Amino acid sequence: MDIDELTNLINIHGKAVYGFCYRLAGNKEDADDLYQETFLKAIEVIHKMDANQNPKSFLIAIAIRLRKNNRRKFAWRQRIAPTAELNEAVDHAPVSESEATPEDAVLSHELRGLIQAAAERLDDKLKIPLYMHYTAEMSIEEIAQALRIPPGTVKSRLFKARSNMKKLLEVEST
Amino acid sequence: MNDSDKWERMLRQALASPGEPEEKLNQSILNRVEERNSMNHVYRKRLSTGVMVAVLTLVMSVTAIAATQFFSSDQVAVQLGEKILAKAFESSDAIEVNKSVDSGDYKFTLHGIVSGAGLKELNESNSTNEIHPERTYAVVSIARQDGRPMPKTSDPEYGEESFFISPLIKGLKPWQVNIASMRGGYSEVVLNGIQYRLIECDDVDMFADRGVYLAVSSGSPFYNSEAFAYNESTGEVTAKSDYDGVSLLMDLPLDKAKADPAKAEAYLKELLKEPESGTKTDPAETELANRIEELKKRLADGKVIQESVKEVTYDKDGRINYEYDGWSVKLSPEMLFAEGQTGFSDAVQFSEADGHYLGLQFHKDEKGVITGMVIDLK
Repeated sequence: MDIDELTNLINIHGKAVYGFCYRLAGNKEDADDLYQETFLKAIEVIHKMDANQNPKSFLIAIAIRLRKNNRRKFAWRQRIAPTAELNEAVDHAPVSESEATPEDAVLSHELRGLIQAAAERLDDKLKIPLYMHYTAEMSIEEIAQALRIPPGTVKSRLFKARSNMKKLLEVEST
Repeated sequence: MNDSDKWERMLRQALASPGEPEEKLNQSILNRVEERNSMNHVYRKRLSTGVMVAVLTLVMSVTAIAATQFFSSDQVAVQLGEKILAKAFESSDAIEVNKSVDSGDYKFTLHGIVSGAGLKELNESNSTNEIHPERTYAVVSIARQDGRPMPKTSDPEYGEESFFISPLIKGLKPWQVNIASMRGGYSEVVLNGIQYRLIECDDVDMFADRGVYLAVSSGSPFYNSEAFAYNESTGEVTAKSDYDGVSLLMDLPLDKAKADPAKAEAYLKELLKEPESGTKTDPAETELANRIEELKKRLADGKVIQESVKEVTYDKDGRINYEYDGWSVKLSPEMLFAEGQTGFSDAVQFSEADGHYLGLQFHKDEKGVITGMVIDLK
């Protein structure tokens, strides 16, 4: 892969991959690391990408594996990184207000924070497809391809993720 | 809008990408890839002149975990996120060595080494951390003899003392065949004050019948001829006892049955071949080469500028420095002289102004003293 192709890959998928890394890592420093490692690894293993494989699925799959391998490192960092950083990041997170219609009124910071916290508490098995779908904006098929599981399993994991979060939020708000 | 739609919208909003990567982050990825590409290029280009190339360093900082003794090779691999390699170190292809040698202020331990066709089976189909059967992996640790901990990878002092750790092959010029030219690299982790280095390079098993050393020297991450001597007639490499720093050699206990002289021959042919030879060369390059040859012939009739005749000085990495009237040269002596070579260097630098040529050439006497001089070609 040459520099132009890489630049292209970053331009097209950089935002989705970064958002996914951020959600997964939980802080900017680790997100930056994971994002960078993902692209560097992608260059090394690009020959493994099937001709019909979606580049985004390929990149996200690499990010997931790197994060698994480096979990000890990330977990350790997270312990020393104050949670305030995350909350602050949440408060400053850009929200697409211009696209918001009156009925889906922009979520309050508090509610957004609660939803994010509930997602974070999910098991990896549910959390990863959730972030792939809502953060990296991947379709069921793309997620299935990246995780090498049947689309039906992706659907059921997303369903379970949503219902577990609902339960968590109900408990939080009562 | 029903509840399910609302919930869906809420999730989309709350979990939307929290931002874009900063421009400088993307730029740093592109820079690193460009750097890698250019390093590969330099490596191929420079190999013919026997110059050492930079080793790609992957430094990972990993938290220390409690342990009372050395970590084993497989545990080190796990710490570096190389799970498949960890399995390889536990496999029958691995050789557990655990041999220590003291040199300078340090104790070096070779823990284990693994390579071979068996590694292929350990790879998982969906893994990005593949290991290659055509590569050799080894774990070496560095500890201070006075018991003080080695700096953590996150400490500013980390890397201040650099080490060259590489296999060398008996009978092959060590400045030509070492970890750098054998497409090598390393990762490091510091655990309980001990620095562990996982090195990897092209498979050394094929040379098992010749004898393979593990060489360690300090002061530079590259091969340093100040630290080792090579005897052209016997093919033996020895550590120089007068070297001010670490200089040691250990024999790698490889399985001689795994030697493959034909494969080794083919590998060396590829490794040592002159780049571009036999292929179509750029006409401009050919013209330049011809002009340089022509200028070299004129050196004999040129006049040495007496003020320019100076003995070179050395920096801490063993590179020579020469400066005179706007000429400034800083390079490794191996670029100029092969081991044991004396007399004038083949390499000459020329400068031209208004059709007037000057050449910078180096001379090495029997005592090893290198002198630089500028020659006026008139």
